[in-house]
Amino acid sequence: MRIIDAHTHPVFMHDGATPAAARRLVAHGRAHGIVKMVALGDVLVHGRLPSAAQCRRINDETAQLKRWHPDYFIGFCCLNPTLGARAVEREVERCVTQHGFRGIKLEISNNARDACMGAVMAAARRWNLIVLQHTWSQTNIHQRRFHSDPADTAWLARRHPDVSVIMAHLTGCGYRGVLEAKGLPNLFVDTSGAFPEAEILDFAVQELGAERILYGSDLPIRETSVTVGRVLGAHLTAAQRHLILHDNAAKLFRL
Amino acid sequence: MLIDANVALGPWPFAPLPERTAPQLVAYLKSHGVNRALVSHLGAIFLPEPMPANRALFAAVRRTPTLLPVPVINPALATWREHLAACIAAAPIRAVKIIPAYHNYSLRLPALAPFVAAVNAAGLRLIVATRLEDERHRYHALAVKGLPVAQLAAFLARFPATHFVCSGLYKPEIETLAATHENFSADIAFAEWLNTLALLTQKIPARRLLLGTNTPLFDTRAQVDKLRLARLPAKTLALIGSANAARLFGL
Repeated sequence: MRIIDAHTHPVFMHDGATPAAARRLVAHGRAHGIVKMVALGDVLVHGRLPSAAQCRRINDETAQLKRWHPDYFIGFCCLNPTLGARAVEREVERCVTQHGFRGIKLEISNNARDACMGAVMAAARRWNLIVLQHTWSQTNIHQRRFHSDPADTAWLARRHPDVSVIMAHLTGCGYRGVLEAKGLPNLFVDTSGAFPEAEILDFAVQELGAERILYGSDLPIRETSVTVGRVLGAHLTAAQRHLILHDNAAKLFRL
Repeated sequence: MLIDANVALGPWPFAPLPERTAPQLVAYLKSHGVNRALVSHLGAIFLPEPMPANRALFAAVRRTPTLLPVPVINPALATWREHLAACIAAAPIRAVKIIPAYHNYSLRLPALAPFVAAVNAAGLRLIVATRLEDERHRYHALAVKGLPVAQLAAFLARFPATHFVCSGLYKPEIETLAATHENFSADIAFAEWLNTLALLTQKIPARRLLLGTNTPLFDTRAQVDKLRLARLPAKTLALIGSANAARLFGL
């Protein structure tokens, strides 16, 4: 079983930034069949509105992981879109040209519908990057001013059909979130987020097709055996499992 | 050989979950390596009084001895003594469960003193269910929150001679309580972090942790794999997987 994990935070609240910790994580991943991890950065270490310098430090840590394990980690560039177009363009260009990052990670600096996202999506288009948007149902959280609901991330994908968008956290998006993602071929959903609630992955495959779903763990917040186990425990064909665990990500990330 | 301390039968109104018969549940759990399970009825959470659901539970598992019925009692109801007695008379039970957050009382409820005493006198283990789902994902019209850990801590302090089983605690909650209280064991259904059990067992002895899958609300395979694939000595895995439950519930 070969797995690509599309959603990880190898460095989390400063933990994991040493060569030894990175080696341990790679060994851990390989023991679970994970052949590559998308490293999204220590995205909340400076709060929800990191400065440009803080974004650079987060991305430099991701780049360091890539240098230590170039065949294992795929880097995504952490951004704070509210810093403005110039800061976004500069950091994306730096991450792509100097570090070979493949995507952009957006946390909760702003809502996916905000005007500042225009520069982010333009940069993604220019550099052929994938945009992974943190997403969680706001039905019970009530932070929509800066926290994207599945409806917001779907809106973003609909508005930018030429950019591939990953709606993070299938479980956090819930059944309503899955339905929001319907009919948007450039919108993918990762399986991360919260506890392994039964049946929701089955529902997502039924409504979206296995081709639109990527395995993601959100480690270290979640346990790898659980996040893989929820895919293996769903009522899927072997071909569907293979798509979700590996092939969709390999195709999307051009591996 | 695994014993699952947190399983339910019956309907859950907020998600399209499979509603299995008792024999189907036995076969399903067995397919994931679970040989015995402590089972409650989800109907007991929502009915005005839990006995119809408890009766349905007893009837359902009568011919499936590997499913051990755990009736739910609501000690905030005037008739809890009758309910407890009826459950004891209905079937050989090892434990009863309370679900304060869903039954609208706090662990400061005065009736809990005679209730705990009665449960102890009957030789039963009391399971305190602190949550059934991630509160962020609850049905929008429900206002149920997880049981506050401070309330549980005060409850544990109030009954130092009784050893409780707490289900549904998050990993940090288990760690917080374990730092100050020894009179509880916890299931691992809601405990999760990278290397969950290796980290947890640094904060609470393995002899106080139990496999709990929260089936059918959570994916059973995923929950069992949390234990099965943990990098811990086989003896530790055996404690969490079955020996602790066998000891605590007299199996």
